[in-house]
Amino acid sequence: MAILQINNLSKSFGSHQIIDGLNLTVPEHVIYGFVGKNGAGKTTTMKMILGLLLPDGGEILVNGEKVRYGETATNRFIGYLPDVPEFYGFMTPKEYLMLCGEITGMKQDACKKRAKNLLDLVGLSEANKRIQSFSRGMKQRLGIAQALLNSPKLLICDEPTSALDPVGRKEILDILSSVKETTTVLFSTHILSDVERICDETAFLHNGKIALHQTADAVKHGKNVSGIEIEFYRQNDAAHFASKYPGGSETSKTTLRYTQKTENDMSYFMQLLLTEHIPVQRLQTLEPTLEDLFLNIVQKEDN
Amino acid sequence: MKQFHAFIKKEFLESARTGKLLILSVLFLLFGIMNPATAKLTPWMMELMSESLAETGLIVSSVSVDALTSWAQFHKNVPVALIIFLLIFCSSFAGEYQKGTLIPILTKGMKRRVIVAAKTAAMLVFWTGGYWLCYAVTYGYNAYFWDNGIASSLGVSAACFYLFGVWMITALALASTLFRSASSVLLASGGLFLIFYLPGLLPPIQKYMPGYLLNAPLLPTGQAEPKDFLPVVCITILLSIIQYAAAVISFNRKKI
Repeated sequence: MAILQINNLSKSFGSHQIIDGLNLTVPEHVIYGFVGKNGAGKTTTMKMILGLLLPDGGEILVNGEKVRYGETATNRFIGYLPDVPEFYGFMTPKEYLMLCGEITGMKQDACKKRAKNLLDLVGLSEANKRIQSFSRGMKQRLGIAQALLNSPKLLICDEPTSALDPVGRKEILDILSSVKETTTVLFSTHILSDVERICDETAFLHNGKIALHQTADAVKHGKNVSGIEIEFYRQNDAAHFASKYPGGSETSKTTLRYTQKTENDMSYFMQLLLTEHIPVQRLQTLEPTLEDLFLNIVQKEDN
Repeated sequence: MKQFHAFIKKEFLESARTGKLLILSVLFLLFGIMNPATAKLTPWMMELMSESLAETGLIVSSVSVDALTSWAQFHKNVPVALIIFLLIFCSSFAGEYQKGTLIPILTKGMKRRVIVAAKTAAMLVFWTGGYWLCYAVTYGYNAYFWDNGIASSLGVSAACFYLFGVWMITALALASTLFRSASSVLLASGGLFLIFYLPGLLPPIQKYMPGYLLNAPLLPTGQAEPKDFLPVVCITILLSIIQYAAAVISFNRKKI
């Protein structure tokens, strides 16, 4: 059985249709990437799954039970990490987790033990100070601990990495990967490299619908077609390289950008730079934007 | 019940650690001391001012004060204490909406009605404790300086304003579930007060409006009887229950 099933969901704010007939099925024990641009409706969808927003139409089933707005009983299956998690600043992490445990009806001893294990997992076991002094990354980690407290079947994370530095991002992604055995993770993001690193399946939200549903390999395959940018030391080096390999566009006097290139092209570029004795400041694979990826995959489907 | 226990514990811890509890204790204690102190100092102040008053043609003869003067002060001061109390608690819900701290709690399966119950109960506990502390301090000083025996129905007169406070707290709870910002919550609570206060200016229904409870100072001086307040007490209790029930219903439908 699917842990999460969304059928024909719709939601609009005023005249603006955010979600328009969205269908989504998330199987158990996967990390499911929910990708979309900022403002695509990812948070709106998640809030409807959590019963915090009333949908205009359609239905949401969590673990086979229908989600109700207001008194949302299905939340007992769910752990939720908001995009900007905010907790009671006057409490310590341990006190906060004990509060959450009491709310979910956990026994005190069991909760104490679980809280300790989770604080170890997220690296906050030593942080015995009030939450108000926590950094953003620490709050994000505490957010994961509180979301996992009642061993949820479904962990929903709303852009858990978007505001963090690379080290913080890696830590969060590692934690999410490590809980996959026991829980299903639905994870929204607009950062493609995060999806590539940990997601088993990915859905792309576009114009209020799932534009595409992909497995991890397909995402990687789609991503291969990206760009390469070279920054030279001198202007005449750039001109010389351009004469040997036309098709690039000048983004500055010493920088050339080539689009739609593969890893093989990258090897050829390196070879060419060596044989021509052209030193470079920087040679870089360009991350495709979400739009590039949509275009690529849509174009492929059309072909 | 477990959820209620957990959340009200959080409310108390919050009040203790954010200093609300300290402010409330000082506030009510200070007001309790001020009532007899003002009464005690009145003759001395009048004496000081007697010369300047004499120049304007007013002659101050001996000013006598007793427990009734102090109780009159009590009834003048507690409305100010209630306003400060409401100012302190108007952000009880609004602060949580703005920070988003209720979202993780609700997604943990917290029942919404329990949040309203725990927050209202916490406010009522603080009001009860603070108000009766203020009363006890005034009572103690009055007994020491004068004699409380000359004031009749003291407990009933104090209970009237206490009930008025309870009614305003349920109004604040209702307003808190309807509006998101602390200022709107305060305005709406004030609005609710006016809705019930203004019709009370019309003599035929005066006795049945919660605002009539503010006439409690007539009790110690013997100008009114406790039984005169029975209808308004019943109506105010009923209104408080209705306001609380409306708060629960409105919070259940609130977009968080």
